[in-house]
Amino acid sequence: MTQDNHGKAHKFGMVIDLDKCTGCGSCMVACMSENNVPFKEDETNKKDSLTWMTVFKLSNEKNFPETDICYMPRPCMHCGGKGDHGHSPCVSVCPATATDYGYDTGIVSQIYTRCFGCRYCMGACPYHARYFNWWDPKWPDGMEEYLSPDVSPRMRGVVEKCSFCYHRYQEARDRAYYEERRDTIEEGEYQTACTQACPAGAITFGDLHNPEHEVYKLVKPDPHQCGKPRNPKAFRLLERLQTNPKVYYISEREWVRKAGDNYRKGEWGQQKKSDGDKGHK
Amino acid sequence: MKIDRRSFLGLGLGAAAGVAASPVTWKLTDDSSIWTQNWPWTPVPHDGEVSFDDTVCTLCPGNCGISIRKIDGRAVKIEGKKGYPVNDGGVCLHGLSGLQYLYDPARVHFPMVKNGDTWKQISWDEATTLVAGKIKELRDKGMPDSIACVYGNDKGSIAGLYKRFLMAVGSQNFYTVDSMEKSWEALISRMHGLKASAAFDLANADYLLSFGAGFIEGWGSPVNNFLANSSRKERQAKLVQVEYRLSNTAANADMWVPAKPGTEADLALGICSAMISEKLHDADFVQKSGKAFDNFAKFVSEKYAPESVSRTTGIDVSTIKDIAVQFAKAKTPVAIAGRGRGDSAGSLMEFAAVHALNCLKGNFNKAGGFWTLENQDTLTWPSLEMDDVATKGYAKPPVGLTSVISTASLPKLFETINASEKSPVELMMVYNSNPCFTLHNAKAVKDAVNKIPFVVSFSSCMDDTAQLADVILPSHMFLEMSQDIHSGAGIAKRITALSKAVIAPVFDTKNPGDIIISVAKAVDGSVAASFPWENYDECLESVNGDQWSTLSEEGYIDSELTVPATPLVADFSIFEGFRGFPSIEGDEKSYPLTLVSVDTIRLASGSFASSPFAVKTVEDTVLIQKDSVIEINPETADKVGVSQGDYALVTTPLGEAKVRVNLFHGIMPGVIAMPEGLGHSFGTSSQVVTKGGAGLLSKNGATSIITATGGVSAASGTFENRYIGGKGVNVNELIGPITDPASGLDVAWGIRARISRA
Amino acid sequence: MSELEKKTENGSVGAAEDGASGEQKAGGDSGVGMGVLFFIAAFAVCFLSGWLLFPSLLYSKKEQPFNFNHALHVAETGGCDSCHFFREDGSFAGIPKNSSCVECHESQLGETEDEAIFMTEYVEKGVEVPWLIYSEQPDCVFFSHAAHVVGAKMDCVSCHGHIGESETLKPYQENRITGYSRDIWGENIWGIKKNSWDRMKMDDCAECHQEETGSKGACFQCHK
Repeated sequence: MTQDNHGKAHKFGMVIDLDKCTGCGSCMVACMSENNVPFKEDETNKKDSLTWMTVFKLSNEKNFPETDICYMPRPCMHCGGKGDHGHSPCVSVCPATATDYGYDTGIVSQIYTRCFGCRYCMGACPYHARYFNWWDPKWPDGMEEYLSPDVSPRMRGVVEKCSFCYHRYQEARDRAYYEERRDTIEEGEYQTACTQACPAGAITFGDLHNPEHEVYKLVKPDPHQCGKPRNPKAFRLLERLQTNPKVYYISEREWVRKAGDNYRKGEWGQQKKSDGDKGHK
Repeated sequence: MKIDRRSFLGLGLGAAAGVAASPVTWKLTDDSSIWTQNWPWTPVPHDGEVSFDDTVCTLCPGNCGISIRKIDGRAVKIEGKKGYPVNDGGVCLHGLSGLQYLYDPARVHFPMVKNGDTWKQISWDEATTLVAGKIKELRDKGMPDSIACVYGNDKGSIAGLYKRFLMAVGSQNFYTVDSMEKSWEALISRMHGLKASAAFDLANADYLLSFGAGFIEGWGSPVNNFLANSSRKERQAKLVQVEYRLSNTAANADMWVPAKPGTEADLALGICSAMISEKLHDADFVQKSGKAFDNFAKFVSEKYAPESVSRTTGIDVSTIKDIAVQFAKAKTPVAIAGRGRGDSAGSLMEFAAVHALNCLKGNFNKAGGFWTLENQDTLTWPSLEMDDVATKGYAKPPVGLTSVISTASLPKLFETINASEKSPVELMMVYNSNPCFTLHNAKAVKDAVNKIPFVVSFSSCMDDTAQLADVILPSHMFLEMSQDIHSGAGIAKRITALSKAVIAPVFDTKNPGDIIISVAKAVDGSVAASFPWENYDECLESVNGDQWSTLSEEGYIDSELTVPATPLVADFSIFEGFRGFPSIEGDEKSYPLTLVSVDTIRLASGSFASSPFAVKTVEDTVLIQKDSVIEINPETADKVGVSQGDYALVTTPLGEAKVRVNLFHGIMPGVIAMPEGLGHSFGTSSQVVTKGGAGLLSKNGATSIITATGGVSAASGTFENRYIGGKGVNVNELIGPITDPASGLDVAWGIRARISRA
Repeated sequence: MSELEKKTENGSVGAAEDGASGEQKAGGDSGVGMGVLFFIAAFAVCFLSGWLLFPSLLYSKKEQPFNFNHALHVAETGGCDSCHFFREDGSFAGIPKNSSCVECHESQLGETEDEAIFMTEYVEKGVEVPWLIYSEQPDCVFFSHAAHVVGAKMDCVSCHGHIGESETLKPYQENRITGYSRDIWGENIWGIKKNSWDRMKMDDCAECHQEETGSKGACFQCHK
């Protein structure tokens, strides 16, 4: 046996261009069909609807015809936690170690067989990215035939969430090992299902540690500020909670960027100024 | 020695210690925890070798290339095909849900005949004989012209076979569904004298001026448009959306121009007027149009000056002039017409008004421009035999002939049937369309269909029309069958593709091509002689002739676009004697509001119903439990006295519906919007009597994760698709058709309405 | 001495008396004795059944569809990977399908009854052999053969033992509660292992990972 020395740690992340997103919902369905997400007869109660990837609709709340809307796809943010040390809000509270932080990938896992359904993680997640299986999954006669073996179907009583299609990373690594490339995986070899399906090309996925990758070029994460974007048009949701998400959003529209966090009166102006200063450095 | 309490204590302690010192406890704890993690009813999908099978999605006219991911031959996922000229890897949510249609609970498992209120299973032979018998009967009576066929579109060899069948029996009654494509074709024929379809090179145009076209709501070829739209940012191309409501297209546009509903074309003429008066148009191009152009210039400057158009549309004069300047200065601008998804036709004059902008720029048949793609039939058919009956029948005009563009129109057909005492159509065949759901005044369409003595459906799923049929000969769903695909839907490409059978049929269904061939053979005589092929596969290969080898090997042919030999000239005389655009039904006094049907990409509203996945993505501002939600401006809601989430009654001249209210600032005051694609009537059950034995065909046992069931259980044969069926209101039951005086097509897009608390 | 004798006598008398009284006492306290006896008996029964009876109750024995001679095939084909190969995408094919077998077994090659069964019941009928897999892991496990065999250059034997030298297939013992093979927990009912291939539980993976890579690894490394 020889020791497999893993190379430099990855930090997989996603950048979503909100100006390109059309709200078509392809990412949601790509995710559901990739990850064996079940469905129920009635899915209009969005609180119990399992959607690892959800497209939210934001509005600037202005009157006609000044109204503007923006669609915001929200996968799991795969938070690095305060200081980006892997203390994600959900990981910190799980009493069963059913969710952990992969230091080699930056991906927050969810192990369904380990989860016993206390839902602490759901309470801890500020992005509502985690979902609870209130019912056993049920498919119409015969439809189970299309389930993918890459992702375990879940049972009632466990929490599930976006995994950044980790099984695709596992498959890409299998190939890399087989071709004796060890841990070197090309950017295109590991892409999430939503990224691949997005007909608008609004989603970009890759390694935020790799300056060659598109995600890095788009947001220019600041290593001294836990990956805070240096692109002034880019932002992360609830940045000031210091959860350090790995999902970045880009928009030219100021109201959209402002909607990314809760600001008190006057705070946004200051925020903009300090961001602007950084932009100049 | 006496056995007492202590003995039992000893026994208990001994047993406990014995068990503790044995592995039982530890092992059972471990095993039971594993047991709780693997409930037998949680499916364990079988693993195996991954392979990909490419085909073309035929759910909508967009025809994207797709890759079916398979595990040991079992299809598990649909992905977009990278490099395919339409979609280059992108794929819409309906295409992604394709596998759900395979096992759709509403699928028809075998041929069935209606027996009172129940369906009875029959064999394929019985079904074919029954249909052929009826056709023979009508032909014997000398009434072949009372046979009709409704088909989704007229592209490809399967459509060709159905058309051919009608000709061979002796009927002109072949109907396709109206769409913006038809309106464009009518317009091109009128303005350019060409038999061609319209195409827009959106991926290269630098200024897109859309008059209500739901460019990213699913208009035309959806994924192709998504790609074109998102590349705008890099290309510095502008999108201007004229729409009374902040649709997704409007929200994504660089500029949203909220003209009042029904005045979009007025705005187009206003922009024309501004362009002409500022001499911003391409003088060389319009010069070829001669005097007709001068008349047009005079007409718009008198009647459609920006000032007066501003009053009609509610758009500032400066905005109109700005758009005129921007459109004129753009290198490759295109103006697009066709409301929403373009699933219904539009007024010919409205299209003409929009197209006048294209004509003013003359940006035709080049990169980034408006293309006229001449209709080329690439299929070669053997000669057709028509006996006396057929010749006589075929000489008669189709039922529901429209005066102007001289083709039969589907809405007109049903109107004629309803107006006659006895239906002029004795036998109707329906494939790939669901007129009882998609046509305006859907209730009247249902009445008409009920009046037709014998209705044959070839639908693979139970739908609103198949429900009313007398016999169903179920087709394969698209992944189970081969067919040739010919691009359209406004895409500036000419692609011929082969959609392959990538999955073995799940139920006892057939390729619709094979069905019609076997019916023709059963009709006998000259009809049978016109269908010389053994089966559809043979027909597909032979009619595709030379291109077959490329098609079967490469999967598709992306032909170069050809520029028409003679340069395009625009005939502006279409505007002579123009009296104004058709208005919507209902008087303003009793119906102070305008009800419009709106498309959302997440709900399918055409020939197929939305999949469970698609319905799951629908927002709770569109559907709440089983209630449709209407969109209304808070200001209008205040006046009516309804607030967020309230139940309300929408009343139109056609009827009323109970809905719920969603307040949305982005919709113009006075307008209420209702989503298309809801209100299917097949959710409620209807009984099936099975012969037993048929149903889910046994699958390749080893790779199957479910065991093949012998017969269809009562539950699976009831067509209860509760995921979409019975949810919401069909907006087409509230909106009636409006016949366009210029084209005869149904051009309704809304109706006047009122709303009250319910 | 008489005194002594007396004392002894007395003592003995006393002892006798004591003994008598002791006997009496014992007769009166006989519950303790029976209790101990019952304890021992119950302990013995439970202990022994826990060790001997329990395993045979816990596992049901299933025979493989027919016997397979690994040793013979290894000798003929040269190694494990001739049949248990990697696919081009790096995934592991596991138990070969009929299509791989018929590359050699186009027609019957030997004279064994087992091969005859294979040919007539499976190849001719086009049915895959429903082998019972000793090393089948639960659905939530993702095991990368490529990482271990190609990446870490491990031997098949490290996890699968000397199955390649076996001439007969042992009966498959299925855990009645979990539905998994006995080989996952190990032959030893206490879970004690002597060889690296004796057990294949998560702790065993973690133990080796800790030793070889310095970390047990993140959950997703081996779960899906």
